[in-house]
Amino acid sequence: SGIPKALYGGRHTVTMLPGSGIGPEMMNYVKEVFRYAGVPVDFEDVQMDATAESNEDLEYAITSIRRNGVAIKGNVETGSMRRGVFSRNVALRNELDLYVNVLNCKSYPGVSARQQGIDIVIIRQNTEGEYAMLEHESVDGVVESMKVVTSENSERVARYAFEYAKRAGRRKITTIHKANIMKLSDGLFLETSRKVAKEYPEIEHNDMIIDNCCMQLVSKPHQFDVMVMTNLYGTIVSNVVCGLVGGAGLLSGKNYGDHYAVFEPGTRNTGTSIAGKNIANPIAMLNAAVDMLEHLGHKYHAEIIYDAIEKTINEDRIHTPDLGGQATSIDVVQNIIKHLQQKTRTSN
Amino acid sequence: VPFTRHYSSEVRTVTLIPGDGIGPEISAAVQKIFAAANVPIQWESVDVTPVRGPDGKFGIPQAAIDSVNKHKVGLKGPLMTPVGKGHRSLNLALRKEFNLYANVRPCRSLEGYKTLYDNVDVITIRENTEGEYSGIEHEIVDGVVQSIKLITEEASTRVAEFAFQYAKENGRHKVTAVHKANIMRMSDGLFLRCCRDQAEKHPDVKFEEKYLDTVCLNMVQDPGLYDVLVMPNLYGDILSDMCAGLIGGLGLTPSGNIGLNGALFESVHGTAPDIAGQDKANPTALLLSAVMMLRYMKLVQHADLIENACLDVIKEEKFRTGDLGGNAKCSEFTNEICRRVENRG
Ligand SMILES: Nc1ncnc2c1ncn2[C@@H]1O[C@H](COP(=O)(O)OP(=O)(O)OP(=O)(O)O)[C@@H](O)[C@H]1O
Ligand SMILES: Nc1ncnc2c1ncn2[C@@H]1O[C@H](COP(=O)(O)OP(=O)(O)OP(=O)(O)O)[C@@H](O)[C@H]1O
Ligand SMILES: [Mg+2]
Ligand SMILES: [Mg+2]
Repeated sequence: SGIPKALYGGRHTVTMLPGSGIGPEMMNYVKEVFRYAGVPVDFEDVQMDATAESNEDLEYAITSIRRNGVAIKGNVETGSMRRGVFSRNVALRNELDLYVNVLNCKSYPGVSARQQGIDIVIIRQNTEGEYAMLEHESVDGVVESMKVVTSENSERVARYAFEYAKRAGRRKITTIHKANIMKLSDGLFLETSRKVAKEYPEIEHNDMIIDNCCMQLVSKPHQFDVMVMTNLYGTIVSNVVCGLVGGAGLLSGKNYGDHYAVFEPGTRNTGTSIAGKNIANPIAMLNAAVDMLEHLGHKYHAEIIYDAIEKTINEDRIHTPDLGGQATSIDVVQNIIKHLQQKTRTSN
Repeated sequence: VPFTRHYSSEVRTVTLIPGDGIGPEISAAVQKIFAAANVPIQWESVDVTPVRGPDGKFGIPQAAIDSVNKHKVGLKGPLMTPVGKGHRSLNLALRKEFNLYANVRPCRSLEGYKTLYDNVDVITIRENTEGEYSGIEHEIVDGVVQSIKLITEEASTRVAEFAFQYAKENGRHKVTAVHKANIMRMSDGLFLRCCRDQAEKHPDVKFEEKYLDTVCLNMVQDPGLYDVLVMPNLYGDILSDMCAGLIGGLGLTPSGNIGLNGALFESVHGTAPDIAGQDKANPTALLLSAVMMLRYMKLVQHADLIENACLDVIKEEKFRTGDLGGNAKCSEFTNEICRRVENRG
């Protein structure tokens, strides 16, 4: 995916969209950790107002990401239910044509979760399907909502999945669908992934119906390797797997198009009810920051921050309440910083 | 919309659709257990293999439709639906034909059958007639397909009302509306508004609204957070299967389809072609669906007798079928249940 832009004197500028709920606090932790790690990244902060009645701030955010090429983001609630005011999150992904969302769900050995030893990659079509946002009320009390599936986008996401599997040494891809009911739309998605699969004979390909898939996930999750699916099934499967591995506060997700990349927590939660209480888990957003650094090519900084996260979760077991611990958000961040300081001290 | 109907104690006829694959075996098991328990029910077995109608399209035979319309209560095994082509889902056609607007699926952890979750006790109530299952799809231009999800005030209101009614009649405390109105603002928004209206009419039942993804996340971490869940068609399909997974799979979970003038009870699993005809299937799901049917018909004592016998046999491990890690045949499991109901009945 695209070449990072805006590199001045070895530094990158990245758009930061804190969003609503816990977003702003999480972003402050990212900045703090970056400062201690000496990361050569500057942020262009763009606020989006959840209650706005116009799409002006959305346009501004999109312009900023177009300029910088890369963004890190929290979830933006869309307060207004007025017609024509779309979900900001969806509009942003569509405008930037971020057609694929990648979520690597890997268990942390230090987290006591329902399931252990999971390593599933969820690859999701990110710009159409049920999120097309084409709806109308034909008669009073009768609403039609359009789901759109195109062969072009189905192919792009399938190809991404197979290329990913090849690069990452993964062996199996499962296409998730509901083609027994939605014969044309999900049928097109399924057929397209079967067609692409033929070009990758070394990778095993199978398919599964979304309801059976969810049942299998909660009972035998280790059968899955890489999964590819349409938009709505993506949100379902992502949340199920994150739930199995330890919740909304751990994992990060990546949104890619041909030109831009946006990094965010994997389950895209707002966390309104836990905002401002110093209890939200900062790990998901910090992992998103690590993903972003890898994308920008700052391998060293990505690695030291990732190591510090790993030690904090698996060895020191500094866990926030969502992981069954008692630590505050700040405890977690300070422990990460402690590891970073040790690292930078020894390397200087 | 009462969930239970009152009938006199005389023998009543019920339509039986044995279905495909393992359907005939598990239907026979249920019939055998009902006979052992002296349930005052007579079965009218009908075939629903699609026939070509006057319009040239394949559909359910008229005799089957007449039978359900006459008796108003039916039990149905799994039916085969080919993926991607061929005739439309028969399950769908039956739901449409009989206006079975609410699908009720109780999922409760079975005492004695250990899974990762031992505190599951949720009821999913799924809108059963529209939504993503409208069947309206077009290829607009080459390579671009549109599929229409249809949400109406009428269908949303009646399923929401059913959910609150069900909660009250069954001693439940909370109804959660599951939606995705942050994305599908108009369609799921309408569904949600109908739930809110019904919540206002039933102030004695607690009501909450949750995003579909949040429910998925929470459900696998702590199923105890939920009680009765009501939602549009597709979400209900997916969540109810997931809940079934939490308690040990589709071989165990019953379901009922409640309609405007009757009800059809069915096992939720498929035809299991891999084990069909081998006397390996677990009849529990269909049996517990039949138990739901008995409760609907106010045959509560027979329902309790059969349900207890079935759960006891599973708990004691000796006669478990292959899907539960045992090696009993379907017939052995069935005979053991019969032995118990005969002793107790
Ligand atoms: N970083 C985090 N750390 C801990 N818990 C989190 C985190 N992010 C989300 N959660 C929890 O995960 C659940 C789902 O989050 P989400 O924000 O989607 O909830 P919601 O349905 O929007 O409700 P609300 O935003 O009001 O909490 C909530 O219980 C939330 O508190
Ligand atoms: N009652 C049952 N007893 C034992 N195993 C079952 C039962 N129902 C389903 N299974 C098993 O669960 C798996 C999924 O079967 P299921 O029939 O639901 O889906 P399927 O094979 O896709 O059939 P269909 O096409 O009819 O949906 C199969 O391996 C099957 O053997
Ligand atoms: Mg939220
Ligand atoms: Mg299903």
